[in-house]
Amino acid sequence: MVRGQVFAGAAASAEVLRQDLLTVRQDSGDAALADTVAQRVTRNLTPGTVLLLADAAGRPIAGNLSAWPPNVATDAHAGAVELYRIGRPLPEAMWVRATALPGGRRLLTGSVVEGERRAVRVLEAAMLFALSLAVAFAALASWLAARMIVLRLETTVATLGAVRDGDLSRRVPADATGDAFADLAGSVNAMLDRVEALVVELKIATDGLAHDLKSPLTRLRSALERAAVVVTEPAALEAVDRALAEGERLLALVETALRITRAEAGIGTESFTAVDLGGELEDIAEIYGPVAEDAGRDIRVAAASGVVLAVHRELLGQALGNLVDNALKYGAGTITLALTTAPGMVTVSVADRGDGIAPHDREAALRRFGRLDSARSGTGAGLGLSLVAAVARLHGGAVRLGDAAPGLVVAIDLPV
Amino acid sequence: MSAKILLVEDDDTTADFVSKGLTEEGYVVDRAANGRDGLFHATDGSYDCIVLDRMLPGMDGMAVLAALRASQIETPVIILSALGSPEDRVKGLTGGSDDYLVKPFAFAELLARIKLLIRRGTSAPAVQTVLSCGDLSMDLLARRVTRAGKTIELQPREFRLLEYMLRHAEQVVTRTMLLEGVWDYHFDPGTNVIDVHLSRLRKKVDEGFASPLLHTVRGAGYRLGVEP
Repeated sequence: MVRGQVFAGAAASAEVLRQDLLTVRQDSGDAALADTVAQRVTRNLTPGTVLLLADAAGRPIAGNLSAWPPNVATDAHAGAVELYRIGRPLPEAMWVRATALPGGRRLLTGSVVEGERRAVRVLEAAMLFALSLAVAFAALASWLAARMIVLRLETTVATLGAVRDGDLSRRVPADATGDAFADLAGSVNAMLDRVEALVVELKIATDGLAHDLKSPLTRLRSALERAAVVVTEPAALEAVDRALAEGERLLALVETALRITRAEAGIGTESFTAVDLGGELEDIAEIYGPVAEDAGRDIRVAAASGVVLAVHRELLGQALGNLVDNALKYGAGTITLALTTAPGMVTVSVADRGDGIAPHDREAALRRFGRLDSARSGTGAGLGLSLVAAVARLHGGAVRLGDAAPGLVVAIDLPV
Repeated sequence: MSAKILLVEDDDTTADFVSKGLTEEGYVVDRAANGRDGLFHATDGSYDCIVLDRMLPGMDGMAVLAALRASQIETPVIILSALGSPEDRVKGLTGGSDDYLVKPFAFAELLARIKLLIRRGTSAPAVQTVLSCGDLSMDLLARRVTRAGKTIELQPREFRLLEYMLRHAEQVVTRTMLLEGVWDYHFDPGTNVIDVHLSRLRKKVDEGFASPLLHTVRGAGYRLGVEP
């Protein structure tokens, strides 16, 4: 751009000179023009002026060029060239314009841009240097800014991480600067206060619910047990037994619903203990083995050994138990309890060789009480898979339903 | 002399039911309806076992327990509570109780657990290498089980199950006690999982012998014993 302006300036001054000379010629003729050219070159020469008046053959008549430049056409040529001026040791860049005069003579007017060009070159180099310096400074500044932001956010992020891992009492340390980060910390703390209050309330509510529901159930159970001692009639005994069993089922339902709610709220992370997961799968397989055999089924364990992870053993056991129970009720063939590891992840899964669950039904299967229609005829309340999902979330993991080709595989991904 | 039990329970219906049942079993039962009275009674230390409700008016059951243990009274305590989450149970057990039973409970289960605590309190368990009941005998070192001189082949899980039953011979053992005692699990296995284990064991232990040793206790669980 600067280059273009330099040449435009040279072209303009060359044009002024040309117009002057053409006016001289028009007014006073060819001889006067030759004189003026000679005068300009010898006496009144503006620095950088390039002038040549040549005859039709290109021989110089007057001017500061020794010959008509071969690379400049005789007429209407305008452009940048490099030429030696008389008395100059080095060629110079210049902008020239050739004009054919009536009578065959030619006039070359121009202006040297060599100085400007050098300046431009220096300017360009300077600009390049400045640019790289600016880029370096910008990078440094942005790195410092990012560093500062990260440092200021570090405590907030650490606090949120601790809260996610179950320590609801953690807060971002107070910050007296009063800037946007302090505001953020304040808002995060206010939000955490609210979350903690809600979780505590939920815990109180579920504890209260447990207590309020269980007291009448305890009395119901006592009454029925007393009745069982007194009555002797077989029909009455059977009725008492049925009532006891229904009470048990109701209680199990309430218990499971409470467990889900508490697990979803992250209550229970303080009970995590280091557990050998392979051994755990063996235990579950052992507990359910005889039931499976009686149903003509088979339970197999395919577990990587030595995988120890901090988990809520009881809830994970309940989750795996639910999955095996489901596989026994709704699946078919061999049940496989598997344990696989990937970087940062441990997966425990329960697979069967039955019909599986169609992909579009899988989400509904995970929803609470969302028993699939085809399973509605059985007992159970559809809380089994929801509990599994809640337990997975309590561990920071997730549940996947997949195709065991054939059959259903339910995988619990646990982050390490 | 019959054993003395202190029952601290604010719900009258439950307290009536429990104390009546325990009295019928031959225990002497004292009752307290709130935590303060309970602590007052308990501090004289003459009880063989204390059944303590957790949610009590006046003074919370856990506070009563803490006060008892702080004054060096080591009477076995079984907590009765509607709070049944794993965390609550751990809190109860680490708070100094010897057992934790979640409401609603079967009376037979409570009785079984009380008997266990009282027996544990009176006889220091010697290191036993042979367990027996009637003509059934288990050699823990050789891992061999015989009945009337005949060897019974058991799988490892059946062996552990029978070992648990033998260690609690003549007592009612509930399904949850078995799951806890044999697999250290405290969850609801759903289907009749434990019953199937027991019926397998019964086949090996009782089939082909004159009198059965493994008995089903109506509404409660199982009992290993010579008496039917």
